[in-house]
Amino acid sequence: MTSPAPTSPAPTSPAPASPAPTRTAAEPVGEFLDAVARHDIDAAMAAVGPQVAVTVYPLGVADSGAGALRGVLDDLVRGFPDLVISVSRVIVTGDVVTALVKAEGTQSADYAGAINQEKHLDVDQAWRFETAGGLITAVAVYWCQAQLYRRLAVKRYDEIAIA
Amino acid sequence: MTELSQRPRTAESAAAVVTEFFDRYRAHDVDGMTDLCSITARFSYVPVEIWGKQRVLRGDGTVGTVGKPLWTGLIASFPNLSNIVHSITSNDDGDVVVQADIEGTQQLAWGLIAPAGRHYREPHLFIFHVGPDLLIDGITAYWNDAGISQQLGHNEVD
Repeated sequence: MTSPAPTSPAPTSPAPASPAPTRTAAEPVGEFLDAVARHDIDAAMAAVGPQVAVTVYPLGVADSGAGALRGVLDDLVRGFPDLVISVSRVIVTGDVVTALVKAEGTQSADYAGAINQEKHLDVDQAWRFETAGGLITAVAVYWCQAQLYRRLAVKRYDEIAIA
Repeated sequence: MTELSQRPRTAESAAAVVTEFFDRYRAHDVDGMTDLCSITARFSYVPVEIWGKQRVLRGDGTVGTVGKPLWTGLIASFPNLSNIVHSITSNDDGDVVVQADIEGTQQLAWGLIAPAGRHYREPHLFIFHVGPDLLIDGITAYWNDAGISQQLGHNEVD
């Protein structure tokens, strides 16, 4: 993400071909999402560049490196072992790929500060990927943490661990 | 809008429509924002949900029936409401993806949040679709509403 600008930036059109012309922007993203849906985090990370920029707004994560993204995915699968990721739409705009997904599962461990009350979760999310050279180089994830906490029976943001 | 609508739809022209949409939003020109949308433009603000005893109200509908009242109310509650567009990407099919911050200082109640004069600034992701007539016919947005509530001093989830 670029720094704040006082006015809207010039629109971008589809970018020139990447250095790996045999792989489209959608391919690594598809591989990543398929692997996450299988809970195969190693396979998901194979589609990710080593210096990937990772921003997960609802979790306050703004980091770089494959380890940061792996940590986010590990926490998700650990917290919701029956996690189901359903992709409703994939939008390719040049080297940017945006996936609209629904994450569903039953909480089985503490997650995002919320204690496990075995509640069912279903939260709509948007994952915006940037790709280059056939790999994911940046990911920004959006969902509403109020919706997540509401489903996990959290009552207050300043007392997340109190049911 | 006449000048925009005479151009063919390309990635660039679709992005230009959406850029104009955010310019008008920044100017609090809600009628102008709506003028950029088709009469049946779909609208979905995904985080908006109000849980009642028997039903859940969601931020889904059309721009005219849900979007316009929501924008009008937001501007009334946050009179200095503004946006900062960080990125716009688009394709020739009319899809436009925007990363933007929405910010404002609360002066009136917003939902369950009582006004305390606090400021919020929250990252949003918008997905627009611009039709062949260069009118927006779909708006979907994602953000973390918990972030807004906490910045405004409201710590109750509901």
